[in-house]
Amino acid sequence: MAEQGHSGGIAEHLQYWTVSFDDSNPFMQLHLDTMLLTLMIATGLVVFAAWLRGRLVEGAPTGVQNFMESLIDFINQTVNDNFPVKNPLIAPLALTIFVFILLCNTLDILPAYLLHHVSALFGLEHFRQVPTNDLNLPVAMALSVFILVLYYEFKLKPVHFCKELLLQPFAALLLDSKNPVVKLLGVLLIPLNLILKLIEELAKPLSLSFRLFGNMFAGEVIFLLIASLLLADQLQDVLSVGGVISEFAGLLVGLGWSLFHLFIGLLQAFIFMILSVVYLSIAHQPAEH
Amino acid sequence: MSIDLTFIAQIIVFVTMVMLLWKLLYGPMNDLMEARSRKIAEGLAAAEAGLEARAEAEAEVARQLDDARAKAHEIIASAEKRAAEINEEAVTRARKEAEGIVDAAREEVNAEVQRARQELRQEVASIALLAAEKVIESDLDAAKHGKLIDGIVEKGFGAA
Repeated sequence: MAEQGHSGGIAEHLQYWTVSFDDSNPFMQLHLDTMLLTLMIATGLVVFAAWLRGRLVEGAPTGVQNFMESLIDFINQTVNDNFPVKNPLIAPLALTIFVFILLCNTLDILPAYLLHHVSALFGLEHFRQVPTNDLNLPVAMALSVFILVLYYEFKLKPVHFCKELLLQPFAALLLDSKNPVVKLLGVLLIPLNLILKLIEELAKPLSLSFRLFGNMFAGEVIFLLIASLLLADQLQDVLSVGGVISEFAGLLVGLGWSLFHLFIGLLQAFIFMILSVVYLSIAHQPAEH
Repeated sequence: MSIDLTFIAQIIVFVTMVMLLWKLLYGPMNDLMEARSRKIAEGLAAAEAGLEARAEAEAEVARQLDDARAKAHEIIASAEKRAAEINEEAVTRARKEAEGIVDAAREEVNAEVQRARQELRQEVASIALLAAEKVIESDLDAAKHGKLIDGIVEKGFGAA
């Protein structure tokens, strides 16, 4: 939810806490805020898993175990509905994607400037509070999934995949022709097919990551907008009729957006998970011919 | 908003997390859930089998009861038949015995009547003889007139 007491423009709040290893190379830097938060969430998840593991009961589950079993059951069902074959990796992968993204997204309902101000107490200039707002995280996850998809494509149906990469959609039709000119045209079209197919394949991780990043980034910007437009900067700004109305409106709109954004966070986590499962399941589908 | 080393680090974090959560969270819980599902399925199958066995046993009991009932009916029917026969025999025997007793009694009565009649006749004859003696004051020869008197008495009592 948006919070009082902010300073500077929105753009300033969209800076990362960065450490650079080579100033001339923009790639050689690390977003420490993203790393810190993801490591905290990951450690929390692992500690939680280890804690829960020691408390598992065989009989009727209760409390946390019951909740986690419902979640795992839901993931298992989603995976089983989509997968033609059994692959033990997919369900844990889907579970990790869903839980991790959901937890990262949920950080967005913390007051918009809270972590920024907390970090300012420690002398930090910038601190982004939602790791999924950092393009590095969605791209890293989407690329991991994409590499896995390529691995299964090559492992399960290498010939079919290569054929599809080079010959679809034009060449396959033209090469079947008896006319040598058309056949030659088909051969000439192979590079075009390759480019089209590569774009098609690359669009998968790209859309997967940018969808999550875009939604969460826009959500954060709207939180910052609500805070900077409706909430007062200093105490004396509130001490007027307009100030009170504006403050009240800001809190109301902020609350509404928080609830909506919470839902979006859940939805995006689910979409990322289900699309990953679907891409992997396509890679597992047997070749059609 | 740029791709940098964070990207590489995030891949490492993500892959490590998948591995750890698989081993620590998903694996044990999934095994547990599968074991429980199996147990429940076995329990349900056992319950189903138990129900079937009970139904079979009930059917067997019903069948045996029917057999027993039929047998009992048969036994009762034959017993009733036998009882009726015995009864019939007893009645017949009793009737025969009764008839025998009645016949014997009737014969006895007849003999008694006959004897009484004989005695009476003799008595009447002697009384008549005595009376005649008194009336005629003559000595009737018993041997001579006895026969006559007997004939009269016989005539007189013949209708009795």
